Amino acid sequence: MMQAYIEGKREASTIGSLVTFLAFLFGILGIAIAYGTAFGWIPLGDRAQILRSDVNTIEIIVTVISLVYAACCLRTAYGLYTREQASLRWSQWMMFISVMIGGAILLSVAIPVGLKFSLLLGQVADLRTLISQDAGGLAALSLSIGEGLISICLFIIALLALLALLVFLIPPLEPLRDQPGTRWIVSPPRKFIQAILTVLGIGVICFLVAGAAVVPDYPGQTTIRDAENHRLLAGLLFFLPAFFAYRVVRRVEEQSDELRRALALTPGKFIRAELAKSPSAGAIIGFVAILMGFTMATDLFLEPSSVASFLSNVATKGVIAIGVTYLMISGEFDLSVGSILGVTALSFMNFMTHGAPVFGVVGPIPAALLAIFIAFILGAINGVLLISTRIPSFIVTLGTMLAFRAITLVAIAGGRILRYSDHHEALPVIGISNIVFIVLAIIGLAIVAFTAYRVLPVLYRGAMQAWSIRTDNGDFGTSGAILRGLALLLVLLLLLAIVVWLAAVLSYHGSASGGQIVEVGYFDLFNGRVLAIGEEGDFFHLQIPRNANVRLAIVWWFIFVVIFHIVLTSTSFGNSIFATGGNEGAARAQGVNVDRVKLQNFVIVALLTGIAAIYETARNPGVDPLKGTGWELEVIAMTVIGGALLTGGYGSVVGSLLGALIFGMLQTGLVLVGIESRLFSGTIGVIIIAAVVLNTLVRGARQN
Amino acid sequence: MEYKQKNDKALVDMIDIHKYFGSVQVLRGIDFHVDRQEIVGLLGDNGAGKSTLIKVLTGYHSLTRGQIYFDDEAVNIHSPHDARELGIETVHQDLALVPLMSIARNFWLGQEPTYEVGPFRFLDKKKMASESIRALADVGIHIRDSEETVGNMSGGERQSVAIGRAVYFGKKLLILDEPTSALSVGETQKVLDYTIAAKEKGMSVIFITHNIRHVYEVADRFTIIERGHKLGDFHKSEVTENEVADMIVTGQIPERLRLYHGENGEVA
Ligand SMILES: Nc1ncnc2c1ncn2[C@@H]1O[C@H](COP(=O)(O)OP(=O)(O)O)[C@@H](O)[C@H]1O
Ligand SMILES: [Mg+2]
Repeated sequence: MMQAYIEGKREASTIGSLVTFLAFLFGILGIAIAYGTAFGWIPLGDRAQILRSDVNTIEIIVTVISLVYAACCLRTAYGLYTREQASLRWSQWMMFISVMIGGAILLSVAIPVGLKFSLLLGQVADLRTLISQDAGGLAALSLSIGEGLISICLFIIALLALLALLVFLIPPLEPLRDQPGTRWIVSPPRKFIQAILTVLGIGVICFLVAGAAVVPDYPGQTTIRDAENHRLLAGLLFFLPAFFAYRVVRRVEEQSDELRRALALTPGKFIRAELAKSPSAGAIIGFVAILMGFTMATDLFLEPSSVASFLSNVATKGVIAIGVTYLMISGEFDLSVGSILGVTALSFMNFMTHGAPVFGVVGPIPAALLAIFIAFILGAINGVLLISTRIPSFIVTLGTMLAFRAITLVAIAGGRILRYSDHHEALPVIGISNIVFIVLAIIGLAIVAFTAYRVLPVLYRGAMQAWSIRTDNGDFGTSGAILRGLALLLVLLLLLAIVVWLAAVLSYHGSASGGQIVEVGYFDLFNGRVLAIGEEGDFFHLQIPRNANVRLAIVWWFIFVVIFHIVLTSTSFGNSIFATGGNEGAARAQGVNVDRVKLQNFVIVALLTGIAAIYETARNPGVDPLKGTGWELEVIAMTVIGGALLTGGYGSVVGSLLGALIFGMLQTGLVLVGIESRLFSGTIGVIIIAAVVLNTLVRGARQN
Repeated sequence: MEYKQKNDKALVDMIDIHKYFGSVQVLRGIDFHVDRQEIVGLLGDNGAGKSTLIKVLTGYHSLTRGQIYFDDEAVNIHSPHDARELGIETVHQDLALVPLMSIARNFWLGQEPTYEVGPFRFLDKKKMASESIRALADVGIHIRDSEETVGNMSGGERQSVAIGRAVYFGKKLLILDEPTSALSVGETQKVLDYTIAAKEKGMSVIFITHNIRHVYEVADRFTIIERGHKLGDFHKSEVTENEVADMIVTGQIPERLRLYHGENGEVA
């Protein structure tokens, strides 16, 4: 249809012109939104709650995105107007993006409404017990029962409406006939059903809007965002026309093979194919969905304090999850990490308070090193037991889990807590000379220079290549070249920012008189609170909000993720880990020492667990004998959500990162929207199964 | 015609090989040798111990008793890595590739090319991709994308990749364990062609099968084993295809050939 329009056939011109006009309209809308956000007419984020005068980050981001979006829409409209071939593909993408925007806006109304309704359901269920207790307030309660029931009905109807809308929008089941003139044929009963459902749907959307208007009056759920019904209109304005246009644009029968191939890869298929390449597709989808869901449900979720709290909560488990991912990829797993954590934390604390066997009472850094060495031994015990007995790792580590736990239980008799403050007056402090900072900054600069030297030329060449082949490919290469150019620019800016910051550190400490000492708490070095980045008055000064509990462990975690990701994907060791878990016999036949790989992975898990134990103890310098109980399963859950196969051979470190983030977001988010924290484990259970099903589906899609 | 005397010319000489798995005696005193630039068909019914014999040779299994000579030197092959160092490449019947890994990563498994950055060594992914595509094209397998996972390929394609890898890395001895069982007629012919090409390049080949039809055409000599014993060693000139096939099935040397062969299949 659109192709006919491009070729100037008369009968197709109506729809073609409509799509062109739509692209133009969306462009204008984009500009309007950018303008409105930039000048505070459309308050977002912080400003929506407490009207502050200054523009916040979310508004800046939205402004920039809508400007880019508007530019793309207008360029597409111009392309369609001048009948460029390439604009067909652009229009597919622009309509796709518009559908997404519309859907997001609709969801931002639907999610708070849905949440409030379901919380209300909970209240109504509690009413019966309330009534029997309190006869006096009966009148008031019956009133709210009535209102509650109405709300429930509205909610159910609204659900039906959404369902109907979906049925209406899914493509007709009848295959399109090949003969000209018989396209768009839908079998009569189906048409009938669709018509009814459409009417129902439209009617029920009205109910939904009305219902949403009732909900905000219910007290108690102040953290959930107001539904702001006026957004429904905006959402529909984007969603419906764009969806219609997207479906129309997809029906193309091209003359040139090239064009057909380009258009056959619709945005939907493209994204699916890209996702299927990643082991953690389920985790990516889950991460985005949960992030969007909580962001839309409550304004508190993206507050620095919430983000910092969920990052800090999962940072230590995330570090362990990296190791468990390695182990799981090589086909084994470890139930003893919780106990190893307990033993390491206890040893660390014990070495500082009661003394180590040979060394006596030692300072924090030797104590940490010794404790991590103990973790190393425990990991090696696991590994040696496994490869020498060939018992499944489930059994081996179940045994060592119980055995290692006994160490802490025996060492701290009577379930007391071993506290640093019971043995020392003050927390340990270290004086760091400014020379150290200078050296660190110089090392940092060297790393940045090396990264730039390796990465920038590759990016530059990629962008140039995409640019030079753009015409051979019917202009489709242009967007790729632009994207790559943008990526290049972003990386460049990021590197520059780091360089400027390091230079500031260098100049600050360099100008100080020689040998100046900065006092730092030892424990802060491991896992302290980060209060600010850079010094006051620096170009790169970033004050972290007072209520945001940003811990240094987060930084260490991200550094570990990067390092272990590179090792897994870009070294021979990583390759042999995948082979060991994927097909042990084949790996051995190709000369991989699978026993050594497994032993190494057990040791890696234990070392990372040891490091995590130091973080945990540094954050709260006290150890109880049950420290780390139950962690093993949580960490395995994070890893599995991240896409690692329990059977081995598949998984990724980034997946474990996402898995841990999902964990943290749920933990914090559920509390913020007022759902009982008792439901947390249930939710996690559902998420695990959903994520694994998604991962399997995506992998299955690739297998076909 | 004395095989024992030829042994100084042999590339591989395995003498009195025993292999027990616990109480299961799979190999019970097998003598087996491969001459330089020779294609040996190692034949026998299913379960005869052919795979076990070459797994011993390639270090996948340890020996219970016996001695292996390679290039006229007594060797102890403790791991597949040792065998590879000697120039032996193997396509195992059941242990060929890792299904969840890409073609390139499978191709280079265990001997990945790396480049160094200071003390660190990283995979040279560019070389891994381009070399694997080129090497496989050399043996007639054309793949589109070296990043494709092996699990997505057909049985024949997978086998071809495994063979292509062995041909590419093999230096002295190429061992193919039932390479043709999953292949079509055309693909089988291709494998036989590589086998001859490998011989012409100076390598020796052990070609294992339980189906004589696949190997009669290319092999110079046949070694038949039967439940852990060697039945006999026969030059192609001595036997017909049907006689070999009969021996595999019945486990007995026909009357005509007994004149030349003793109980162990050695020349009387
Ligand atoms: N790891 C093992 N443990 C015990 N028995 C084995 C093992 N591997 C092979 N066998 C036994 O050895 C015999 C020979 O096996 P195999 O060498 O695979 O035969 P072929 O390759 O000739 O068909 C079979 O009976 C098999 O059951
Ligand atoms: Mg076999």
